[in-house]
Amino acid sequence: MAHLEVRNVRKSFGDTHVLKGISLDLAGGEFLVLLGPSGCGKSTLLNMIAGLDSITDGEIVIDGRVVNAVHPKNRDIAMVFQSYALYPNMTVKKNIAFGLEMRGVPADERARLIAKTSALLQIDHLLDRKPAQLSGGQRQRVAMGRALVRDPKIFLFDEPLSNLDAKLRVDMRTEIKKLHGRLGTTIVYVTHDQIEAMTLATQIAVMRGGVIEQLAPPQDVYETPANMYVGGFVGSPPMNFVPATVVDQGNGLGVRFRCAANGGDGDVVLPLADPAAAAQWKDREVVFGLRPEALTDYNEAEASIREHAHAFDCRVDVLEPTGADTLTYVELGGSTAIARVNPRRTTRPGDTMRLMADMSHASLFDPSTERRI
Amino acid sequence: MANLPAQAAADTLGARLGRVALYAALGLFALFYLMPMLVMIATSLKDVEEIRSGSLLAWPQSVSLDAWRYAWSEACIGVECTGLAPYFRNSVLMAVPAVLLSSLFGALNGYALTKWRFRGANVVFGMLLFGSFIPFQVVLLPMSQTLGFLGLASSVPGLVLVHTVYGIAFTTLFFRNYYVTLPDDLVKAATIDGAGFFTIFWRIILPLSPSIIVVTVIWQFTQIWNDFLFGASFTSGGAQPVTVALNNLVNTTTGVKLYNVDMAAAIIAALPTLLVYIVAGRYFVRGLTAGSVKG
Repeated sequence: MAHLEVRNVRKSFGDTHVLKGISLDLAGGEFLVLLGPSGCGKSTLLNMIAGLDSITDGEIVIDGRVVNAVHPKNRDIAMVFQSYALYPNMTVKKNIAFGLEMRGVPADERARLIAKTSALLQIDHLLDRKPAQLSGGQRQRVAMGRALVRDPKIFLFDEPLSNLDAKLRVDMRTEIKKLHGRLGTTIVYVTHDQIEAMTLATQIAVMRGGVIEQLAPPQDVYETPANMYVGGFVGSPPMNFVPATVVDQGNGLGVRFRCAANGGDGDVVLPLADPAAAAQWKDREVVFGLRPEALTDYNEAEASIREHAHAFDCRVDVLEPTGADTLTYVELGGSTAIARVNPRRTTRPGDTMRLMADMSHASLFDPSTERRI
Repeated sequence: MANLPAQAAADTLGARLGRVALYAALGLFALFYLMPMLVMIATSLKDVEEIRSGSLLAWPQSVSLDAWRYAWSEACIGVECTGLAPYFRNSVLMAVPAVLLSSLFGALNGYALTKWRFRGANVVFGMLLFGSFIPFQVVLLPMSQTLGFLGLASSVPGLVLVHTVYGIAFTTLFFRNYYVTLPDDLVKAATIDGAGFFTIFWRIILPLSPSIIVVTVIWQFTQIWNDFLFGASFTSGGAQPVTVALNNLVNTTTGVKLYNVDMAAAIIAALPTLLVYIVAGRYFVRGLTAGSVKG
């Protein structure tokens, strides 16, 4: 359980700035996911924590010790690679033992640790095989075993599941989560898959272009994204962004946007759950963000118990059934929005449907800076 | 529809004829290439009288190994009548260490150039590459001065040094191109596991290199064993390699020219490279294509 601190870390290659001042503070036992598209610098940051990449500026601190100049092997970290990087010439047993051997752990102690780790990962029957004789999932386990056996302070995972097929990926995801629950070790995990990030993390750092856009627990990232980029990157389908205007509505404020319904084109005004926050935006353009599941079919019973649920009519453009929900495409304020609708309550494309927006989950963004209001 | 089976039969007949023609052509080419070898072997087994009277292509009437024995241990090379044996020994003492050393340095260079990329690695590699295009005649004079300075002139260790130095350009090229295809993550993983530069080399990189080692060893052995220029330039007398000794043996004539001895000596001098190809040849082809297919 190690405390990891990254202090204003930068990485540049000449004039190319890959990381532009990254800071984060991770308490012992946390599971941090670095989430972002390829090229955002997340793997570079991981390599720098591991000590495989040099640090241009800033400090990386593990348990109060600045490790900038400490060799990777002395940082007490272990890393699982996307390609697994198992040594092809060694058996599974030797692969797992290699790190122990390099650290001078006696043979009988090594055997005990290998037995313990391989039992934990259910790879005891594979110990005498070579990596080439293993399936993708088995290789993944061995790669994790090689990291686990040393009982390091921090685990680093570099997109460990992206080479697996979809089903195995879900299984391994659960296993990694269980493992973290059991061992309680600090983990830094790199991925571009927002579902992996949501399911595994206790903290998500959403990265873009060498900066952290938001660092927060997954539910906070999901519900209150710091900017439109985060709202659009996290969640599938992504958050709906509706160009709207803040207007007076009863005692408070509401968002007004255009929407086609019942053969005409009319204005819809939805009252804001927290008008005070948007007070200085009155009569100004904003971007109104709403998750697809906060935009659903109208249901009288539900509308009556939810304080901030408001109904409005809208013409349906496209239907995409997914089984559990039918994704219903509508046009709000000139941009496409998706509603999650109960499959039993859908209508035909072109018809008008009564929708319900849960305004307690609404976000407002500044259209020029794209930041959350 | 009735003519279908007949057509099929014609096809198989045509295919068979094609096959026969193919094998006949291949056999002819094989014979063409093997003919000099056959003539050499046949001639080396005849006695001088038979060579003078008989046809060049005729098979020996009585097989005799006298010419081989003479070439190995009695023939005069210059003024010393010791046969090829001591010079053959020189070649072994020259080729084996030179092949091992140049391959080892090539492997280390290739590993450092690909897995521990340092500033200017590409420039260093470019310069090494240039080394494989230098005509060896250019370096004869400076090299002989260097050998004299080191006290290695006209000695087998001197030749080992020369061949090791000039082999490194080629061996580095081979190993570098092979190691480029090995994933860098292996080195990163081993670094985190606590292995250093040489441990990673011995424990992980070298065990993955047998095919390229075979290619390099065959290439280097053939080059070094067959070398004449360096052997003739930097050694004299008892330190000469077998290629130079063969030349001197053939040129040392008193009276009748002993073609059977010349032929036997030539085969003896060529035997080791032949043997290396027979033993490791199939790895050679495999190693040359290694890395071209992602594995």
